[in-house]
Amino acid sequence: MNTLPQQLANGLLLGSMYGLIAIGYTMVYGIVQLINFAHGEIFMTGAFGALTVYFYILPDGTSMALAVPLMLLGGAIVAILIAVGAERFAYRPLRGAPRLAPLITAIGLSLALQEVVRNFYPGADRARAFPGLDTTHDIGSVTIKDADIFLILAAVLCMAALALFVRRSRTGRAMQATAQDPDTAQLMGIDTNRIIVIAFAIGGFFAAVAAVAYGLKYGNVDYRMGFLMGLKAFTAAVLGGIGNIYGAMLGGVVLGIAETLASAYIDEIPGMSQLGGQSWANVWAFCLLILVLLFRPQGLLGERVADRA
Amino acid sequence: MTETTKPPAPDAVPTPPALRGLIPLPAAAARALLLAGGIATAASAFLAWTWTAEFPGDLTINGYPGGLQWLTFTAGVLTALFALASYGIRGLGWLLPARNNAPLVLTALGGFAVTWFTVIAISAELGGVVNLEPGGWIAAIASLLPLLGAFALPQEKTGTDGTKAALKAYIAKPDRIPAPQATSGWVQRAVITAVTIIGLGVFTYGIDTEYGELFVGYLFVVTFAMWALHTAGLLDRFSQLIAANRSFTLAMGFAAAIAFPFTQTDDHYANIGVNILIFGTVALGLNIVVGLAGLLDLGYVAFLGVGAYTAALVSGSEFSTISGVHLPFWASALAGAAASLVFGVLIGAPTLRLRGDYLAIVTLGFGEIFRIAVNNMDGDSGPDVTNGPNGIANIPDLNLLGFNFGQAHDIGGFTLGRFANYYLLMVLIMAIVVLVYTRAADSRIGRSWIAIREDETAATAMGINGFRVKLVAFALGAALAGLAGTVSAHVTYSVVPTPYQFAGSTPPNSAFLLAAVVLGGMGTVAGPLLGAALLYLLPEKLVFLQDKSLLAFGIALILLMRFRPEGIIANRRRQLEFHETGQLDVPKQTTLTDEPAVTKAGA
Repeated sequence: MNTLPQQLANGLLLGSMYGLIAIGYTMVYGIVQLINFAHGEIFMTGAFGALTVYFYILPDGTSMALAVPLMLLGGAIVAILIAVGAERFAYRPLRGAPRLAPLITAIGLSLALQEVVRNFYPGADRARAFPGLDTTHDIGSVTIKDADIFLILAAVLCMAALALFVRRSRTGRAMQATAQDPDTAQLMGIDTNRIIVIAFAIGGFFAAVAAVAYGLKYGNVDYRMGFLMGLKAFTAAVLGGIGNIYGAMLGGVVLGIAETLASAYIDEIPGMSQLGGQSWANVWAFCLLILVLLFRPQGLLGERVADRA
Repeated sequence: MTETTKPPAPDAVPTPPALRGLIPLPAAAARALLLAGGIATAASAFLAWTWTAEFPGDLTINGYPGGLQWLTFTAGVLTALFALASYGIRGLGWLLPARNNAPLVLTALGGFAVTWFTVIAISAELGGVVNLEPGGWIAAIASLLPLLGAFALPQEKTGTDGTKAALKAYIAKPDRIPAPQATSGWVQRAVITAVTIIGLGVFTYGIDTEYGELFVGYLFVVTFAMWALHTAGLLDRFSQLIAANRSFTLAMGFAAAIAFPFTQTDDHYANIGVNILIFGTVALGLNIVVGLAGLLDLGYVAFLGVGAYTAALVSGSEFSTISGVHLPFWASALAGAAASLVFGVLIGAPTLRLRGDYLAIVTLGFGEIFRIAVNNMDGDSGPDVTNGPNGIANIPDLNLLGFNFGQAHDIGGFTLGRFANYYLLMVLIMAIVVLVYTRAADSRIGRSWIAIREDETAATAMGINGFRVKLVAFALGAALAGLAGTVSAHVTYSVVPTPYQFAGSTPPNSAFLLAAVVLGGMGTVAGPLLGAALLYLLPEKLVFLQDKSLLAFGIALILLMRFRPEGIIANRRRQLEFHETGQLDVPKQTTLTDEPAVTKAGA
């Protein structure tokens, strides 16, 4: 049986999740040239925010059709609050400091967020069950779950909305201006602090969407889930061209498909029979990152300054 | 604590009589209260504080202090000494060169903190204040007296901008400290020797603390005492002494490091010592990359792992997949360093051409790849190289020139156990790393690193090949970590993948190493070593903290970057870089004999 269509679909789904998270990295980087290492943890807290809504707020037996939007809301509130709070209290005081300072702050924030969840969220030191959407559908030779449909719909809708927002709205255009030249933008009357906060908030929202999709798809969440996902989402952002929101989505999809195909088929290459399977998938993802940095450091879509936001 | 532009303040000596303290008392009474209180605090340590030996350290004996009481005694004596010095007693004047009050306040605070901590710990652990003997109450009251006296001391700047500013003024370092009298070289060396011996004693006491409460008390006393010495200006004087006798100090430092295992009777503490040394050496290697060249390496522990695995593979262990190969130590150390070097170049070459941020993420990725790869290479889900999660066990002990590191040796009446042997080997390796670090930092390439760190564009415009010098820093750091890794493989008998991760609750891991460098002070030699010692000892001694240590690290990193990005021991240049306020605050060049000492915490 030909497994290629199924693998491509898996890669596309995984890639959309990377892409959603990568938006947060790329928007913040585009505006303040800061790698927000803690973004993976913002994704993780979004998942726990959604989990809280499901287990501790909604009554038992709420239908998933009602529960999912509310979980999305809860996750988004938590993720946005943490993203904006991190900007306000950790990153903003360091604006203008040497480059190393905010990076180290980001590492500290990432550790602190993981440990807060591990220590203080009930049962979070192990994987916690997350309600799944496991009904499957067969389309040709491809089998997908309800959660996958949610993921793909959410990714497409969010991207379309973001593209519209950045291109058409006043705030979106102010964002592009700030990304191009913060000082001049400020002279033109743009409140750059507000723009930066909005960039962090949008990143937090997208991370929460990805987090809910992750929970629905895999059926469990844990405090460490943000580390690898964040790392790979950053890889996706670099792959697509950091600072470019379309690049983030494209990079996510390319990375997701490459990773899935590598873990599925690389063991068929003579001499690499032992390097296949899920346990090596992360290794191939990072090798891809190093190859991209070597041959096309500006990323797939380059740095189209006009679109950078 | 930053040195910004201040108008030249009037000399603090003599204090004008019109000033008043926070607590209304005549100055003479305040001073007397301080002296009496200090003596009383020290004396109260000789009483019984509690009735049962259940509280660790046995504080039940009248006439002989135990455990935490020794710390109270020390703090009381220090307070009394500073109080005497403030009277201008002959022979003690060197303690308070500026005749300021801050050291008095701080030692009084230290005594108060350690005594009240003990009293509260007794009440909390034994269940209620009834467990305090009268001695405990007396100690609590006695330690309060110097504090009252200290805050009754007349203070400049009091009452002008509210209580907070007044409290700050009490512990502020004076703007100018009188220059020391010229002393002969022999006196200077004698002072350095004495300080080294005291330092070794203090450090050994900290490592040998047997229970968490004692370690907390120790930290209280040491912190406040060091702070008091800093505000008295003695640390500045001492760092000038060091600057004048650099090679002598270095020799004394290594003599003290070598002397440490001879002071230990229990090999367990030598084990802590050797782990601190490994951790510190790796932190120093990371300091080249982060502190000097300004490159954020988040997968540094992987280079330690590469060295450790290389050494394990060629050690002749029966679990090694290339069994039968048994290289002598010098060869395996070189092999470990070389393997790390190769990986460093492989990772560095593609990424160092780009902005530094990419390096951070790629090294983070490399750290993960390393861990995943050694986990997978068990012959089942990957090639058979590292035995996967089981690791390579039974690494034989080293045998150098007939000296077997696995056995205890008697040297001059002292027994050196297995860990003490490795400790001495690690001192040697650390000496090499310190040498490489200082020589590299002062060389042409070290200056290029600093130039690149501060402004890459300007440095490149001046003709520095940015990529090449960054690659040298990165590869050198990797090789030093690999070298330390080869020893750590032998010390721990086995190598397994788990310690070589990004973040974990026990050292070494990349987050711990980075925290050690940042906390201690980037770009200095002593900083990362101090940071490593602190970060290793804290979770080791305070078992209850182990679970929360990573949380504390995360928060500490954020707060450090916000409030003191230059770390505990500040590098002058680094400090200016982090507190950039314009051209005006560039400190005047000071020589040894210059009148006002503007130096902050040494070189």
